[in-house]
Parts: sequence; C-alpha cells; structure tokens
Amino acid sequence: MSRDVLVIGGGIAGIQASLDLAEMGFQVNLVERLPTIGGKMAQLDKTFPTNDCAL
Amino acid sequence: MDVGRHPKIRLLAYSEVEKVDGELGEFRVTIRKKARYVDENKCTGCGACAEKCPTPVRDEYNLGLAESKAIYRYFAQGIPSTYTIHAQYCRNFQPGKKCGVCSKICQAGAIDYKQQDQILEVEVGAVILATGYETFDARRIPEYGYGRLPNVITALELERFLSAGGPTHGHVYRPSDLALMAALPDLEKARQRARKGLEKFEKTFDRTSEEFFPLYESGELAGEDYDQWAEQVRAARKADGEFEGLRERVDKIETAHRLVFIQCVGSRDIRFNRYCSGFCCMHAIKEAIIAKEHDRQAEVFILGMDIRAVGKGFEEYRNRGGRESGIQYIRSRVAEVTEDADHNLTVWYEDTKERRVKQLAADLVVLSTACQPAASSKRMAELLNIEVNDFGFFKTPGYPPMDTTRPGIYVCGCAHSPMDIPESVAQASSAAARAAQVLSGSESACLAS
Amino acid sequence: MSGNGEMVVNPEAKEARIGVFVCHCGSNIAGLLDCVQLTEYAAGLPGVVYTKNNLYTCSESGIGEIKKAIGEHQLTRVVVASCSPRTHMPLFKSACDEAGLNPYLFEMANIRDQCSWVHMQQGEDAMVKARDLIRMAVAKASLLAPQKDIESSLVRKALVIGGGVTGLSAACTLADMGVEVVLAEREARLGGLLNRINRLAPGGEKASDVVEKLVSRVKGTPRIQTLLGAEVLSVGGVIGNYHVTLRNGEGKEIEETVGCILVATGAVPLKPEGMYGYDGKTVVTQIELEEMLRDGSFNARKVVMIQCAGSRVPEREYCSRICCLTAVKNALYIKEQNPEARVHILYRDIQMYGTENERMLWESRGKGVRYDVYDVNCPPVVKGNTVEVCQPLTGDVLEIPFDLLVLSTPLVARDDAAALANLMRIPVDQNRFFLEAHAKLRPLDFATDGIFLCGTARYPATVGEAQAQGFGAASRAATVLFKDKLISSALISRVTEHCDGCALCVDVCPYFAIKLEEYERDGRKVKRIVSDEILCKGCGVCAATCPKGGVEVNGFTLDQLKAQVDAALEAV
Repeated sequence: MSRDVLVIGGGIAGIQASLDLAEMGFQVNLVERLPTIGGKMAQLDKTFPTNDCAL
Repeated sequence: MDVGRHPKIRLLAYSEVEKVDGELGEFRVTIRKKARYVDENKCTGCGACAEKCPTPVRDEYNLGLAESKAIYRYFAQGIPSTYTIHAQYCRNFQPGKKCGVCSKICQAGAIDYKQQDQILEVEVGAVILATGYETFDARRIPEYGYGRLPNVITALELERFLSAGGPTHGHVYRPSDLALMAALPDLEKARQRARKGLEKFEKTFDRTSEEFFPLYESGELAGEDYDQWAEQVRAARKADGEFEGLRERVDKIETAHRLVFIQCVGSRDIRFNRYCSGFCCMHAIKEAIIAKEHDRQAEVFILGMDIRAVGKGFEEYRNRGGRESGIQYIRSRVAEVTEDADHNLTVWYEDTKERRVKQLAADLVVLSTACQPAASSKRMAELLNIEVNDFGFFKTPGYPPMDTTRPGIYVCGCAHSPMDIPESVAQASSAAARAAQVLSGSESACLAS
Repeated sequence: MSGNGEMVVNPEAKEARIGVFVCHCGSNIAGLLDCVQLTEYAAGLPGVVYTKNNLYTCSESGIGEIKKAIGEHQLTRVVVASCSPRTHMPLFKSACDEAGLNPYLFEMANIRDQCSWVHMQQGEDAMVKARDLIRMAVAKASLLAPQKDIESSLVRKALVIGGGVTGLSAACTLADMGVEVVLAEREARLGGLLNRINRLAPGGEKASDVVEKLVSRVKGTPRIQTLLGAEVLSVGGVIGNYHVTLRNGEGKEIEETVGCILVATGAVPLKPEGMYGYDGKTVVTQIELEEMLRDGSFNARKVVMIQCAGSRVPEREYCSRICCLTAVKNALYIKEQNPEARVHILYRDIQMYGTENERMLWESRGKGVRYDVYDVNCPPVVKGNTVEVCQPLTGDVLEIPFDLLVLSTPLVARDDAAALANLMRIPVDQNRFFLEAHAKLRPLDFATDGIFLCGTARYPATVGEAQAQGFGAASRAATVLFKDKLISSALISRVTEHCDGCALCVDVCPYFAIKLEEYERDGRKVKRIVSDEILCKGCGVCAATCPKGGVEVNGFTLDQLKAQVDAALEAV
C-alpha cells in the first residue's frame, strides 16, 4: 500500500490539500497542467470580504 | 511559495495525467511532463528571453487583454518561475523559419530546443482531484454582445483591469477607448512619414511647404513636380488631421465610470446551466467596491435575480457595498445590451419588482459568467473511471461529501461544485484528511451511503 | 525552521556586513516610490556592503538573489525593504537559513503596506518615509543577534468539543489516522441538531440514519473516549500540550493533556419570541416543523413560510445561509406527503446557491410551491390566521391564509460560546460566532496555534459542509499531531542578570508565562522570575514594565529599539 498521494490541479484547493498532506508527512505529487500553479486565484486582484491581495 | 519549497511535495507543473490504473492503496499513474524547451535547473527567471523574443502571442493569463511572447512566464510571481516556449507559436518549431534569439540571449544557457516530454510513473495510495473550473463562454448569449460589443467584458477580465499588475495597471478603461489609445502611435508614425516625404521637395525647391502650397493653389507654380509635391502636402495634412483628431479624442478619455454588472450569465438558465454558480454575486460586489476605490466617480449597478451573499461576513460586505460604495442592487432580468456609434452601452432589462422594462446607460458592462466544470473533467472522469453528475461536475453520491464514485479518489474545490475560496480551502483540507484517513490503514465507512 | 547548524558566515564579525534588498513588488511599491533611488540610498548607510533592487523579491529569482548575495559577499545581516513581515518574512528567513545565515539575523522594512499603499497621494513625503524605514531597519539589523528556534514535544492526542455531525466526523477521522481522541459532548447523547431534523437534502436521507451510523462508528472505535453530559472547566498550556480539565456526566473531574483542540460546539436556531405572533404551535420555527414532520404530528394543509425571520436586519446583519434551502426542502417534503397541501414561501432573496440547491428550487416550483418576494421595508404582517404581504407592483396587499406559519429563523451562536471563548482565549466575531485566523485562507484555524474550528460554531452550514469541515479540521490538527516535535520562535523573553524579583511583570503578562521563583544564592534568599519559553509569545509587556532591564525580548532589545528610534530621528 503506497502512502503517497497524487493531487491533480494546482489551484488553491490543490495547493491546500498538498500542504496539509505534506505537513502530515505524506509524499505528495502535485500535477498542474499550466506552467505555474495558482489557478484562477492568481488572476484575481483582491478577494472578498477582506479585500486582501489574492496572491 | 510554500508548495515549491516543501520537501514532501513533488511539484510537476506543465504536466498532465495520462493514465491511471489500479485502485485504492495502489494506483499506478502515468504522468507526462511536457517539454518547456527550457532547462528548469538552469533558468533563473530573469526574463531576458521574453524581452527579445520576436513573436507576440495572446496572453492567456491576462485573458487576451495583453500580449505575451512565444517564450513566456504565465505570471510574474508564478511558481515555478521557469520560462516556457509555446512550441506552436515559436518560429524555431515552424517549418522553414529559424530564430534562436532566446538561446543566444540566455546567459544561463537554459534554452534547449531538443528537450523531450518526460514520462513518469508513480505509485500512489490515493488521488485528490482539484481541477477547478472554467468560465462560461458568454458568446453563447449573443444578445449580451460579448465578443461583438467591445465594452462588454467578463468579470474575470475586469479582475485583470483592476489589478495593479494587470494590463492597464488598475485603471478601468473601456476596451473601445484602449483601442483608440493603441491606434495613436501608428497615426503618429504615419504623420512623421508624410512629413519626411515633404523634406525632399523642400530641399530640391529650397522652399517650405507652407510657402509653396498657396502659390500652387493660386496657379503661380505649376508642373508635374509641383503636382507631386502638392499631393504630398495634402497627404501630410490629412495625416496631421487624423492624428490631431484622434489625439483630441484620446485626451478626453476617462476611465469607465458607469459600470453595470449582469449576474447569472449562463447560470440559473434553462438554456445553459440550471444551477447557481455560488460566488458570482459576491465577486461582482467585490469588484464594484474595488472599482469605487480606484475611481471615486464610479457608479455601479448590479442587476440580478437574487443577490446571494450567504457566506460568513458576506451580507455585511454586501451592505457595505451599498452603503459606502453606493452600489445599486436591482432585482431584474436583462434582455439585451446595445451600443451607439461611440460604443456607449445601453442595458435593456425588466425590473422584476416593478414589472417594467427599463434601460440603463453604461460605460462598461460586466458579465458575471457561470462557473462550469473544467474542460478536462470528462477526460479525467474516464481516466479515473469515476462518474460525473448531471451538472458535469464529479459525482459525489453521499457522505462524506468529498468521496467520488470510486474509493481512494476524492474531490475538492470547484471540481466538486461551484464554491468560493474559504470553502475550497476547507474542503481541500477535508479531502486531505480523507486521504490520510484511508491511507492510515482503515477504509472508513464513515457515512458512506 | 531551525538553522541547519552550519554557519557559513560568522555573524559575530567585527564589521557588520549588511545586504539590503529593495523590492518593487511589481507596481505596488515602484508605482509610487523610486526604488532605484532607495537602493542607492541604502548603499550609503553604515554597515551596508551590498544592495539590490528586485521586481519581486518573493519570487524564486528574488530568493535566489538573496541566497547568492549572502554567499558571494559574506553578508552577516540581511534587510529586505518590501511588504509586511506577515506576508513573506518566513520565506525570506528560510532563504537566509538555506544560505547558511542564521535566520534571526534578518530584518524587514515595510515600505508597502506602511508606505506606498497608504500614502498614495503623497509621493515626496512617502519617499522620505521609505528612506526613514530603511534607515531604521538597517540600524536595528546591525544589532541583531543569532538565535535558535525552540523545540518542544507534543502529545498525539486531540480533544474534540462537541458531538454533533461535525465533531463526530472529526473524531472518526482523527482516530482512523491513529490519533487518540477525547470527545466531549454537553448533552446526554450525541448527534447535536441532527437529532431534531427530519430528512436531509438533496438525497432525502433520514437524519436519524446518518446520526446512527456516525455514532455507532464512534462507539465502536476504541481510540475515541466519549464523555457525555460533559463540560470543559479549564484549558491551560500550549499547542502540543494543552492541559484540559473536564467534568463528565457523573460530576467527576477529569484531567487530560492533548496536543490539539477542535471546537465543534455548533449553533442553535433562534427562538423568535414576539415575532410574527410566534407561539410554538400555529406559528413555529423550521426546526420545530422538522420535529413535527419527524414525529408525525404534522397535519397542516395551508403552510406559509417567512424567510429571514430575525436575520439580515440591523441587529443581526448576517444571512444564515441554510434557512432558504431548509424551507424549500421541507416544502418539497410536505408536497410529497400531500400534493394537495398549499405551501407559500415569502422571501427577500432565495438563497439556493450551488448545483443541487438550485435544482431543488426548480423542482419545488414544478410541484406547485408558491413563492413571493417581500420588501425588507414592508415585511409581512400576521393578522389572526392570515399573512398580509405588500405587493410593490400594485400597491395591493396579498392575503394568505394559513393553518401553520413557519418562521425561518437564523442559527445563532450558543449562549455558552462566550464562556468557552474566554476559557480558551479564542475570539468571537460581531455575531458571536467563533472567529477564524483568516477568513479566506485559514477558515478552520484559530490564530492560537493548535486550536481549530469547524461546523456551525464557525458559521451556519449544511450537514455536508459541516461534515467536510470536521474532516478539514482533523486534517489541520493532523498536520500538527503527526510531527515528532514542534518548533517555535526564539523571539521570546529572556531574563537578564538585572532581575531582582520585584515581580511587577508577573501580573501584566497576558499569557501567564511568568512565575516568580525563590532560591538561595550565597546563603541568601533571592527572588527571580522565570518565563515559560512555550507560553511566552514575545509580546514585550514584561520588558516594557520592568524598571531595571531585568527582562528583555530577543529581537526587540532596548538597544535595538533605541537604535531604530535614533535612526528615525536622525533626519529631524
């Protein structure tokens, strides 16, 4: 039984899932089809309701 | 950045999953790492290559509102920061033409035109799907004018306009005005060329064109040479006139003040997606508040059926939008958007409270497009042998809500269903917990139906 | 992250070798400030041997520049002039660490959040301020001393407070992951609000089935110790070692040490006393309707539901998220049992967000459920057995007779939430729901390390959402509990030889980290304070209180602060 995990998609959800699993000690393979991670959130300026910078 | 640096995360960007065999506890996955034609161990992300690249390409990150190059970085702070060559646009990969400018310029010697795709095989115990969403193509609603009327844009495009790092550095200009501004340099060049054309005549005849022309018109000077000179004078004056005319218009250009948001574009719509996309009401309110911050003269209208501000702090945010930013929420259904000769827009809608058809003038119309399953969903579902539901998102038949139709495969974020950022983050942690739970040895029947 | 131990650069070198990196942050800083000029300015400051300006210091290349410069120029201190330390300080510190420089020899000047972002109309003055900030940072940097992170052990055990669907799911998940769990439930039985609910949407499952499955799983898991009729009496300690005292159903006090705590205490439906003629019989709440549907006592033929009863009003601004879908779900159920029944829903906005909910809405319309909008300025009025609704269109008043009026009231924070908040020193928001660390990016964490939040204790949520949050909080807890040891910052208080035991600082410490100790030295009794290195958060109140310089905070010593103040006033 492998204790590695595959996460498909490097947007905010994929990133959070990967970080949680990695912090728990699992080896994560994060696959993203675009040249960089970040997904749609990287295209946002600020986010509601705090108006924080999206990046 | 945390992801890029974590020792337990193997980041495979610019990659795709090609095959998945096996089952919970022992999935065998084939991943194709696509060739960037740039060595990621050598590339420093300095950007010299993109600067010198002669091939302009549509900038996808900025949704076509700006230009990128055939060698590019998706966005400045992206991780990994390695540049990538679009093989389909790069001249070096087309038959015949050879370029190689980037390779010459690169001080790190990172360009590698011979790079191949890499195929990797990994074995994993669980799979988490976080493939996100894509936006509805607003051209499918032709009466709203997207793709035809320049000043009708989507909410995501407005994000790029509002962004300090975006194509207009945070100034919300109407695309029709941007086009005017973009035309100016060419007219300037034409004017200069025409002016230059006069110089040789002035030299030959040792006279300025201003002196010459009235004499020609009065008939005092005649002849073929003078005819040519006069032609050139007329051409130069025309070029002058065009340039000055456009310049006057451009000087008067202001950022878009009247913004009208149309909600539920492609959502809650019997023709397209019947469901509600969850976050677009809040997204519009946020963009309206930010637009007002950038431009105190901005007047914003949000035309929607219901304004769904259901999350934590959202109703307060919506009220703040109304109170402090003067957003006017109008319960309505929009029929059509039209424009006049100057690309000023009119939005025709039914005010459903008053049951009357009304019009609203707008500088810019913003379409809150639906959140749809990612284009890759169907292929992913086949690859992973899982089902999709009626809406096209991955099917999660019961409890826990992250479980797909196959054990060991979990879904989170918008791949599951439209949701906003806090929900996506929370659900991502849920999927991680589920994977961890299952890989810790006990396949949990925790409420599995 | 503790240093890798190898010091490539000797930080004690007589000559401080400071590197200053000025960030453009795209146009966030460079749009207002002249970063090139700032970089030139920095080069002239005392101790500065290397400067660079970057487009984005937080990018891979920016980080690479820092690491390279440390090596090539033997930098003993690094200053980055960019955004708030809260944004990227850990990243920059790691970069120093990886390059062999103790990460505590790093300082930041916030020329974005505290300069370019807030002085957008004051270009020249902003430049002056930016120079001041950089000068101050450089002055402090030269006095920084290397530190070592503090390591501590942890207990692989969790306390879950609340035994509803959220708490039960969290407990199950953690137990399956190998974590010991103590599940404390206030009531005499598990299940929370689900015990009062009829069916769930969209699948139509019986709530009781769902609860039963979860409860039997919990009962059958030896790693979960369940305490019913329990109460949390005190919470002390810190992440990794929380000391909790609980009282169980029999009045016995139990002490537990846990690594993490999950707050899953839920919320309760508002009882709309005085609203719309509420009497609990003919005018009821949605939860009371659920109970009637569940126990078979429902027999109404003309039902009217009023949405936003007590929510989205000035005294309770928030939208309770689930009341619309609950109303629609119940309307559908009523119609299914009796297609002749009349159900009429009066609403302001119909909040059927997402995929399944919207589908339910369409289905209910198809089955004949009537919907009408009412204006918040002209709410429905109950006259006897009729509801009157203003119709803005005609100015008429619509009269709807009912034999059951159902008020969709919001979920509100429990009355005992404030007490728990006090006990655990966790915050609540203006609606008295617990407040998470970050609304967007850390929805399940509290700012206090090691304590997590899930379910309706955070905000109204559906059963699916609450369960997902339970799993999510379990994941968050697991990222702590799966570690072998915990690392915390070295920027905490340090008692100096000047402490004479006056104990003025003991009471002012907000973290109860300081104790007074008595011991013998040279045959005399001497008093001196001791500060707990895990409880201490380095807030500095002790240092500010001490009249003798007997305690100071690493990284914020009086000398360092004085250097900053002197540097700030240099220009005056």
